[in-house]
Amino acid sequence: MSTGGDSENGEHRHPGKQPGEDHAAFSALLEDSAEDLYEHAPCGYLSTLLDGTIAKINKTLLDWLGYDHGDLVGRRTFSDLLTVGGRLYHETHFGPLLRMQGEVSGIALELKATDGSRLPVLVTSTVKTGGDGQPLLIRTTVFDARDRRAYETELLRARKEAELEREELKRLNATLQQTLLPPTLVNVPGLDVAAHYHVASTDMVGGDFYDLFPLSAGAWGLFLGDVCGKGAAAAAVTSLARYTLRAAAVYDPDPAAVLGNLNTVLNHEYNGHDPRFCTVVFGLLTPEGDRGGFRITLASGGHPPALLLRADGSADHLHTPGGQLIGVLPDAHIATATVHLAAGDTLLLHTDGLTEARPARNSDGDRYGDEALLDFARALAPTTASAAVAAIRDLLDTFGTGVDDDTAVLAINVPRPTSEEQP
Amino acid sequence: MTRLAVHTRTTPAGPVVELTGELDYDSSSQVRDLLPALALQDGQQLVVDMTGVTFCDSSGITALLAARNHALAARAGIALAAVPDRVSRIFQMVGLDQVFPTHPTAQAAEAAWTPPATRP
Repeated sequence: MSTGGDSENGEHRHPGKQPGEDHAAFSALLEDSAEDLYEHAPCGYLSTLLDGTIAKINKTLLDWLGYDHGDLVGRRTFSDLLTVGGRLYHETHFGPLLRMQGEVSGIALELKATDGSRLPVLVTSTVKTGGDGQPLLIRTTVFDARDRRAYETELLRARKEAELEREELKRLNATLQQTLLPPTLVNVPGLDVAAHYHVASTDMVGGDFYDLFPLSAGAWGLFLGDVCGKGAAAAAVTSLARYTLRAAAVYDPDPAAVLGNLNTVLNHEYNGHDPRFCTVVFGLLTPEGDRGGFRITLASGGHPPALLLRADGSADHLHTPGGQLIGVLPDAHIATATVHLAAGDTLLLHTDGLTEARPARNSDGDRYGDEALLDFARALAPTTASAAVAAIRDLLDTFGTGVDDDTAVLAINVPRPTSEEQP
Repeated sequence: MTRLAVHTRTTPAGPVVELTGELDYDSSSQVRDLLPALALQDGQQLVVDMTGVTFCDSSGITALLAARNHALAARAGIALAAVPDRVSRIFQMVGLDQVFPTHPTAQAAEAAWTPPATRP
């Protein structure tokens, strides 16, 4: 396997005599010699021995790098011209691939010039074999890739900028989302309260909302709802819904009246080709004095039924049938239900992001569904507000990316007397 | 990414929009974008054939409500045909079963339509 520069010299092409003189003149005008074409080609040419020693190199490449012919030929290897990273890549990938395939093309590498600068290049190499199929030497063309590198740098910069903007959007979305939720839930004497908001996408503000707030005469108002759609337009409706509910409850705390008010406001504000509506549950909580616990009257406008997890370990939907979604019809029907929450009872409100999630374990992308949630609640009961919300959080975690839509949960629970908790 | 196929045909009673696939946030705009181009005459009926709808969320409901508003604005009616069980459960939950007349098939919806009496 000892072939030297001689062999490469044998490779020189001689311009052949052309049959017609015109043709010859034309040809001469184009390229006076193949040698000249080799030396001054618009790309670098390089031939190396199989051990990498540079056997021949053209003027173009020498000029790019700032070397003289004598500096390199027979003295240095191709690898010597590369940056440290490039050398590593050359040894681990480029060389083996070349040996295996006999050709490697379009590999981006960086060459070191004598002045210390780096020249990004695209390298293509082929192995020249002798008549017996034995490899003799490696021929390499080197293309200046500075333009391409500049383009890539520009792409990278644009991408970085886009990522920064996306971060900024996420920050804005998170901030906007926070303004739609109470910073912390108020403390209701005699009640254990917990809530959770699951953000499905950091790119889009969701439309779920909830709140719990004091009303006059020891009563409390609470609501949880879901505005159709997502993004800024939905957030505007969410904001309007939240403030309307709070204000309406002060004016008349009757839950059906509160939702009726919201319906009128949304219906006036949004109709035509861009209807906006929400489904919402509004509850009026009143302590039951001597009897203990709370009475809660829930009004529902088309919202998934609340779950009632009783102290005795049973659980069921608290249906409010016939309630219509809020904001679409001039006089939506609003259904109400009243229950007594005794010690150990937990009421769980949720939005449909939970039941419409597609758990990974469900084959063919089936949704989680109301029945599955009811089974989950039955297994959970009896529970507390914080334990119920923690369990839903864990459940959402198991769904992972299967949760397409934001999900809000709000749980209230009348704690058992401390004596009962003792075994 | 979900896919929704939307196909529109015309009958003497009015246009029939056939939906196949998931009617959700990603796809509902396809239905809403189609509405302005629907030729709907006074007294006609817009039928949305839901035979192939596998899922409908709040955005899908929004699209159907936009269709309803569009029909009402044209002084036409709207009816849903072949609403799948799981979708009809959602409709019941949000109380829309009382808002959209439904028929077992698009044909039945067409048959139920009566041409408007000649107006003076």
